[in-house]
Formats: sequence, C-alpha cells, structure tokens
Amino acid sequence: MNAQALIDGLIAGAMIGLGAIGVTLTYSILRFANFAHGEFIAWGAYFALALVSTLGVGMDPIGPFSFGWMLIVAAVLAALLTGGLAVLLDRLLFASFRSRGSATIIMVIASFGASMALRALLEFVFTSKPVYFTRELQIAVRLGGGMRATPDQLLMLAVTAVLVLGVHLLLTRSAIGRQMRAVSENPTLARLAGVDVRRVIRWVWFLGGSLAASAGVMSGLLVQIRPYMGFDLLLPLFAAAILGGIGSVPGAILGGLIVGLCESFAVELIGAEWRAAVGFVVLTLVLLLRPQGILGQVAR
Amino acid sequence: MTPVHPSVVLRTSALVAGYEPDLPIVKGVDLAVERGDFLVILGPNGAGKSTLVKAIAGLVPIHGGTIALEDEDITARAAHRLVGAGLAFVPQTENVFTTLSIDENLKLCAGVLPAALRAERIEAAYAMFPDLAARRAMAAGGLSGGQRQMLATARALLIEPRVIILDEPSAGLSPKLVGEVFETLARVNATGVTIVLVEQNVRAGLGAAKSALVLADGRVVHRGPAAGLADDPALGEMFLGRHAPQGWAA
Repeated sequence: MNAQALIDGLIAGAMIGLGAIGVTLTYSILRFANFAHGEFIAWGAYFALALVSTLGVGMDPIGPFSFGWMLIVAAVLAALLTGGLAVLLDRLLFASFRSRGSATIIMVIASFGASMALRALLEFVFTSKPVYFTRELQIAVRLGGGMRATPDQLLMLAVTAVLVLGVHLLLTRSAIGRQMRAVSENPTLARLAGVDVRRVIRWVWFLGGSLAASAGVMSGLLVQIRPYMGFDLLLPLFAAAILGGIGSVPGAILGGLIVGLCESFAVELIGAEWRAAVGFVVLTLVLLLRPQGILGQVAR
Repeated sequence: MTPVHPSVVLRTSALVAGYEPDLPIVKGVDLAVERGDFLVILGPNGAGKSTLVKAIAGLVPIHGGTIALEDEDITARAAHRLVGAGLAFVPQTENVFTTLSIDENLKLCAGVLPAALRAERIEAAYAMFPDLAARRAMAAGGLSGGQRQMLATARALLIEPRVIILDEPSAGLSPKLVGEVFETLARVNATGVTIVLVEQNVRAGLGAAKSALVLADGRVVHRGPAAGLADDPALGEMFLGRHAPQGWAA
C-alpha cells in the first residue's frame, strides 16, 4: 500500500468535486442530468489555453510553480467565458424545452447532443492531440510518510478549498444563494415569494460552468488538455454528485474526494485498467444503500 | 369600461382560466373585493375555487377577462412580480421552504422590499408570531402543521400586501388548530389587511369572514354577507346539488 495513492486520490477528487458541484446544482434546480457538463471542463481548459497562447505574455514561472501570471488571468477569464457559455447553452437549447414543458428524458438526450456538438467543436478547432499549458519540469516536495506532491498540485488543492468555501458561503449567506435553495426545493413557492426563477437558473448555469472551467484549467495544468478530458470525467462527476447527495455542495466535494480516493486506491490495489470502473461501482453501491447520498436530504 | 371603484382592492372581470385553453375551469368570474374585507370563497369540490385564486396569483393560465389590483392591470403578470405589487398568495400545501430556516424563509420573501425596510418588517413579523421568533434558526421542516401555517402567513404579511389570498389554510389541521388559524386571520384583518380565503370548512370560514362568494361549476352563484349564510338552507342545497338554487342570482 502506497501512501502516495492518498495524494493522487485527493487531487483527482478535488477536480471531480469541483465539476460535481455544477452537476448537483443544475440537477437540483432544473431536475435533469446534464450530460454536457463535462464539456464545460474541457471548454474551460481550452479557453484558458487559447488566451495564454494568443496573448503570450507573463509566461515565466512564478516561484516554485510551473506557470506564469498569465495563466492565472487566463483561468479567471476562462471561468467567466465558460459560465457565459453555459448560460448561452441554456438559452439556446434547454430554455425552449422548459417553456414547452418537455419531459425530463428530452432534456437529458438534448444535453447528450449538446455534449457531442461541443466536443466536436473543440476537436475541429484544436484537433484531438493532447496539449499542455507548460513544459516546465517540477520537483515534487516530500510531505513525509512517503508522500510527495508538486507545488502545482498543492496549490490546486488550496484553490479548490477556497472555491468550495466560497460557493458554500454564497449558498448559505447570500440572497442569491437563498433563492437557489428555495427554487431547488419548491419553484412554485419561490415564485410566490417574489423570486425571479429565470434569473436564479441563469446564476446556476453560470456558477456551474465557471467551476467546471476551474476544474478544467487545473486538470489541464496537472495532466493534459484534450477534447475528451471532460467527457471522460462524466461518470465520476455523477457518482460524486449522487454520493454526496443531490443539491448539497459540501456533499459534492466530499463525494468527489471519495470517488477520487477510490479510483486512486483501485489503481494501486487492482490495477490501472479498473480505474474507470470505480465510478460505476461507487454509484451502484450508493444507489443501493443510501439513495439520498451522504449529505442529501430526504424530501419531507 | 366599468368605472374604477376607489374602495375595491382586487377586481376580476369575466375571468376565464384553466390549465388547458379548451377546458376552462373558471368560466367568467366577476369579483370585487373591497378594501378591508375578509372574503371567503366557498363551493363544492371542483367548483374552481382554487383555480380562481391561483389564476389571480399568476399560477394558472388566463384565457379571458382581466384582473386588476386597485387601478393596476395585473392580468397574466408573472407570479414573482405580483408580490412586489402587493398581492400575497399562500398555497394550500407546501407553503414554507422546509430546508430553509424560519429566518431564511422570511428573509427570502423580504427580498422584494427595499433593503432599508427588510430587517424592520422581519422583526414586526416575529412580534406578531412570537412562536416563530423563538425558533429563528430552526429548519422550517421541523415545524408542526399549525406553525407552518403561521410561518406561511407571516411570510405573506411581510410585504404589507394590499390583499392576501389563502388557499384552504385549515386543510389537514386539527379542529383546535383550525380555530387558531382563523383567529390569527381575524387579527390580521383587524389591522386593515384585505383577506381572500378559499375554504372547504364552511362553518369555520363563514364564522371568520365578513362576506362570502359561492362558486359552482366555475361561476359565481351567490355573493353577500357571511353572517347568516351558514344557516341558509339554500347553501346546503348548493353543496349537494351543483346548481344554483331558486332565488339565487347566478
């Protein structure tokens, strides 16, 4: 048993968790599984890549990290752009189905189509060849107990923690967060309480898209950027969202960490070819044993 | 054009509403609620009572006629914009956010008010319902049926509405709690708030209200003072048969 699996699992889990927050929020408010959510991860990474390579300044690595300040700027802009893309996708596609009162399955299949189209667009523009934000080599730091992590990896864990805390505070302390929770529980009553449900839906898409983009930039920095990077994460994202309990942000991140750790330990114990199966196994077990998830609430 | 009566708060003219355009449930209702009135809407099952008030609240599609709040035309206005205009609606079931705390339930609704007024109105609501004040941080899902009704009413009153509409607030409550709910409503009405109430519990409804409106098959079959109506034999007939009895104007 290698303690390094713990670090690898946490890092993979942090990215899954960030993506799963968007899945859990859109699911709890719009009541459908958005299969296109993984594409926001990939689009976020490519937006950042396009910005970094077009502007081409601020590329010299900062301190112990492998990237320059331009990537930080690009990551923020990519989050905003991807949030915008998510709002646009809803406006062009899902809003029209909602106004017609379409069945959930139609929304799900439409999201599948959107996923393919968005991914194909990336392959068309950027080709399917993997690309990297940086070619810098990083020396891993010893953390004790046989564990090592690169400064980039440690920074990404810290950024994830800050983002999750931020989203949690937004949901629990701000007016828009209260409105999101209200719409998630009872959209009709929310309207009667004066909540503009359409505005809340736009916020949810924006927030979910932005967080997915952050996960994409991190994944691109730590692993690589390729058009399938988000799609391949789809199953772990759903496993994490359901494991944590639909609608729960702390649940999504906790679910993400658990799925990430399970994957990492599975690689360690039974072999890398089983990694992708872990999401399925976790999802199946949760649905059998605790369908409402770890932090999910049973409807009263 | 009917001249606008200054004391009428809520008026519907020839209102036709229903979930499907070719299946109207409310079939041309004229309603005029005077300021300060406590109106109870009665009628047999399927008469269209709930549909009528839901249509006024913007929850059911309107296929004809108009709705006005004082001199403002609010026909087909989005539900979330009616709250700001001063129309509060309390649905029959699921009328509080169970996953939000009591305080959050009130803060959510205070969102339509100017920022400077919010804290003051929430405190006023707590003053009116001390039971709620003692449990501010508690999730509303933990409240009893009567307390939920109280919170739902407090939530609606927060905006100091011109009219508050309640859809069967007594549904599912014990007789003792029904009495409490109607006492609370009478207290609210005494402060000058106009109340429109849909009620299945005829005696309790008539006991609390000042005026009554009886619907049958989507149409108004009787309107008048609430007092004495409970003993009117025609009312019993109304609920057994579905048609307007002799002597009552349809």
